[in-house]
Amino acid sequence: MSLIDFSSDAFIVAFFLYCLAFTFYGVAVMGRRFRKREPEAHTAKWGKIAFYTAVIGLIAQLTYFVTRWIWSGHVPVSNMYEFMTFLSMAIMIAFIVLYILYRKSLLGLFALPLAILIMAYAAVFPQEVQPLIPSLKSYWLGIHVTMAALGDAFFAVGFVAGLMHLLRTVNFGSSDKSSRREQRWLEFCMFMIVVLIGFIVSVYSFRAGGYHAEFSQMKWNEETQQEQVVTVDYDMPPIVAPYDSQAISVQSFIGMQDSFFEAPSWMHGINAARKLNTVLWSVFSGLILYGLLRAIIRRPLAKMIQPALGRMDPDDLDEISYRAIAIGFPIFTLGGLIFAMIWAEVAWGRFWGWDPKEIWALITWLFYSVYLHLRLSRGWQGKHSSWLTVIGFIVVMFTLVGVNLIIAGLHSYAGTD
Amino acid sequence: MSEELKGLIVNTKCECGHQNPVGTVLCEACGKPLADEAASQDILEMRYDGVARRSQKENPGVIDLVWNFFSSVKVAIYLIIMTTIGSMLGSIYPQESTFLNIDPSVYYKEEYGQLGHIYYLLGLSHTYTSWWFVLLLVMIGASLVICSLDRVLPLYKALSRQRVPKHMSFLTRQRVTLQTDVNNEGTAWVDRITPLIRKKGYRVRTDGGTLLAEKQRFSRWGPYVLHIGLIVFLLAVLARGLPGLHMDTHMGFQEGEPKQIPDTSYYLENDGFTVQFYSEEDLPDEFKGKGKVLPEKFETQAILYECEANCDLGQEPELKEVMRHQIEVNHPLNYNGLKAYQFDYDLTPTIISVSPTLVHADSGEEFGQFTLNIRNPERTYEVGPYTMTLKEKYSDFGLNAEGKPSNMSSSQNAPAFLFLIQGPDLPEDGVQYFYFPKQIDKERFQQDALNKQLGGGELRFNLEVGSMEDVELSQSTTYLNIRIDKAMPFVWVGAGIGMLGLVLGFYFQHRRIWLRVDDGKLTLGAHTNKNWFGLRKEISSILKQMDLEVDEKSLVNNGGSQE
Repeated sequence: MSLIDFSSDAFIVAFFLYCLAFTFYGVAVMGRRFRKREPEAHTAKWGKIAFYTAVIGLIAQLTYFVTRWIWSGHVPVSNMYEFMTFLSMAIMIAFIVLYILYRKSLLGLFALPLAILIMAYAAVFPQEVQPLIPSLKSYWLGIHVTMAALGDAFFAVGFVAGLMHLLRTVNFGSSDKSSRREQRWLEFCMFMIVVLIGFIVSVYSFRAGGYHAEFSQMKWNEETQQEQVVTVDYDMPPIVAPYDSQAISVQSFIGMQDSFFEAPSWMHGINAARKLNTVLWSVFSGLILYGLLRAIIRRPLAKMIQPALGRMDPDDLDEISYRAIAIGFPIFTLGGLIFAMIWAEVAWGRFWGWDPKEIWALITWLFYSVYLHLRLSRGWQGKHSSWLTVIGFIVVMFTLVGVNLIIAGLHSYAGTD
Repeated sequence: MSEELKGLIVNTKCECGHQNPVGTVLCEACGKPLADEAASQDILEMRYDGVARRSQKENPGVIDLVWNFFSSVKVAIYLIIMTTIGSMLGSIYPQESTFLNIDPSVYYKEEYGQLGHIYYLLGLSHTYTSWWFVLLLVMIGASLVICSLDRVLPLYKALSRQRVPKHMSFLTRQRVTLQTDVNNEGTAWVDRITPLIRKKGYRVRTDGGTLLAEKQRFSRWGPYVLHIGLIVFLLAVLARGLPGLHMDTHMGFQEGEPKQIPDTSYYLENDGFTVQFYSEEDLPDEFKGKGKVLPEKFETQAILYECEANCDLGQEPELKEVMRHQIEVNHPLNYNGLKAYQFDYDLTPTIISVSPTLVHADSGEEFGQFTLNIRNPERTYEVGPYTMTLKEKYSDFGLNAEGKPSNMSSSQNAPAFLFLIQGPDLPEDGVQYFYFPKQIDKERFQQDALNKQLGGGELRFNLEVGSMEDVELSQSTTYLNIRIDKAMPFVWVGAGIGMLGLVLGFYFQHRRIWLRVDDGKLTLGAHTNKNWFGLRKEISSILKQMDLEVDEKSLVNNGGSQE
């Protein structure tokens, strides 16, 4: 078995250990009600088991990381798969740091699924080791990307604690205007998480089914100054086809023979229509999944989760959330901005070039500096600041993923696309 | 003076006898809550230790009003939010600076449609250099300076003049507080607990039955150190706009020809450019079979010269070699702050010079040969009995809308030369002659027909190039990004100071514990700027050693309503 195969196996082992740890956390919280033993002791015991399982999972993931590094010769953070995997690992590290500080093992009940989701998302991207284009060949790349990701991971754990704080404190009993608004937005967050699950489920389902469709499209080639026919491959049934395109082959999917409509003309990126199609499928399967869940539990998801957090002190959650961000902020500043500037200076001779990724790293930083300043003010602790951590996490994810998908720049890793 | 103002001033005198400035929230001496703060039952507002900031002045003048505006954290937050939104807008479409040669007034419309054009018209295609964005940065800079000064000085004074005995309500209204019976004489009890607190790294001062323990006060300066770093950084960035401190241009270098770097005495020569591509098997699967070429490595052998004499335009400069360097993507040439980065390359061969022979069009009689440098041709050439004077030079020849010869661009796409030939058997004014060094242009613009027309229907001469030895070619052109940035060291210093401030402010916490024992009853209050959880844990473990079992959670002050 070659090192790279071993590395991939370690990745899978880590993934399943995380899933197992998550299950144990479930047992820790749910089991309390079913058994006759002391509830506190039960939660403490299973919380501990879950935590150590997660730690072993992290060791497996570190094994993946190190062996892949040795095999490829560069720090494995140079494409979407490697980066997202690293991010999930960093989230686990951040979670463990906060566990050591606060000893609140239930944080894992929410941190783990986030790490698992991001890992599953990572595996959507091509996994082979890719050669580096010249501008990425620098050890500053490794330092900058890993530090930035670690900072983001602390922000993510801040979001996890913030979300837990909201799930714990939003009053489902009340029906006044502000409570209703909070309930709706919180449930919307839950829904968005289900959509993300829907995305992953649909990608893997169609991949398992070997689905394929092809379209041809006329494109203006900037280099040759000519119209050119390009083919666009779909891995999901086309709800939306590329603008001004012809179907070459469309596999039938439950009677779906052709696309329902074409993408608008302004979406002229080569993969824009495919991305839109993926988004539509994600929302579609997310809606089905969410509908099923609601039909089974007959309550908003947030309301169902709330009792699980009944034992946690809201102020502790608020403080953990703030602390995670306070730990992450200097790390992010160093990794996401200062090291990024050093690398840009070394590679391109300019420390700042207003590249979309740079701009969004700055936006992330500005956002969290607003958060930190607002925390100084009265009335901005607790719920308000928890909502800010949720928005902050959206900003972070947009910087990491959204910018690559929507606004490409120098960081659109693989180079030629 | 209005009644209200009078009232305010009277109220600033604390019952302990200390006269506080207007705006003081907590008495500077004993910590007793004053004014509005006294009426409330909430947890004390401990920001800046309750001292009056500089901006809280009576009768503010104009300067005070400006100062007050920028000293507000609220204003700072709005400024940051506006900058954030501005930055977001600028990331929607690529900025003009991303492109080397575009006309933004058409480019955005062509590439991104009507929305793109509106984007351009709004000036968002150059967001980060627009006046409002720079103004926002300047205002943030002002806010950083003024906010910091407004708070750091009073805070410094307050922290260095702390008194040990504190007012009872100062202690009971802290976020961490405790009241319990110790059935012990005050001074003795305080003496017993002092070494235990010291063991946790606190500096302890006592005054009878009262105690003040404090550690890591330096953490309070973290934000201000960060702000100083940011100011240095912002100033360095703004200074780059001053002339002479900053240059950033892209230049193409053909092989084997030193070229001057504008506004400097440096010349750079491309002594050979090489590029290696990934072989088909090294390519990742997604690129295979798509006919894509992915460069693995490209480098320029560069020689840098400094001009020693005759540096003025039109003279032959005397150059001295000062540096040789292989420029690769992550390895720029760097000489005294002048940097040359590998930026791009072009593998189309270009002509550096040709050595054509002037021949008689009919008889083929050779009159002589001369060397024509395409970029820097000479004024006149003596060729056999003839004198050739250069009248016009085109780098990219073409016909304009009126059908007249003109230069279409500054790149060397279609070089062309118009000579005036004078000599024996020619009219006194001489004859005009067009020469296109590239064969393809010769045919495209019909050189012979053109010259026949110029010669009054008769083609007298030809300029012929015998073999490839008479043509000096550059196989490739390398594009380098030349940068001079003298403000850079300050950018890094600013970033370093900022980072130091962040570490001070976020990874250390200023913790203080006050306590007093009155008639066998202990009252404790504690404050930190971060990590209340850790503070409570610490206090609970200290009290445990004093045989006081106190649950960490019970130290939390529930909005002032103590049990």
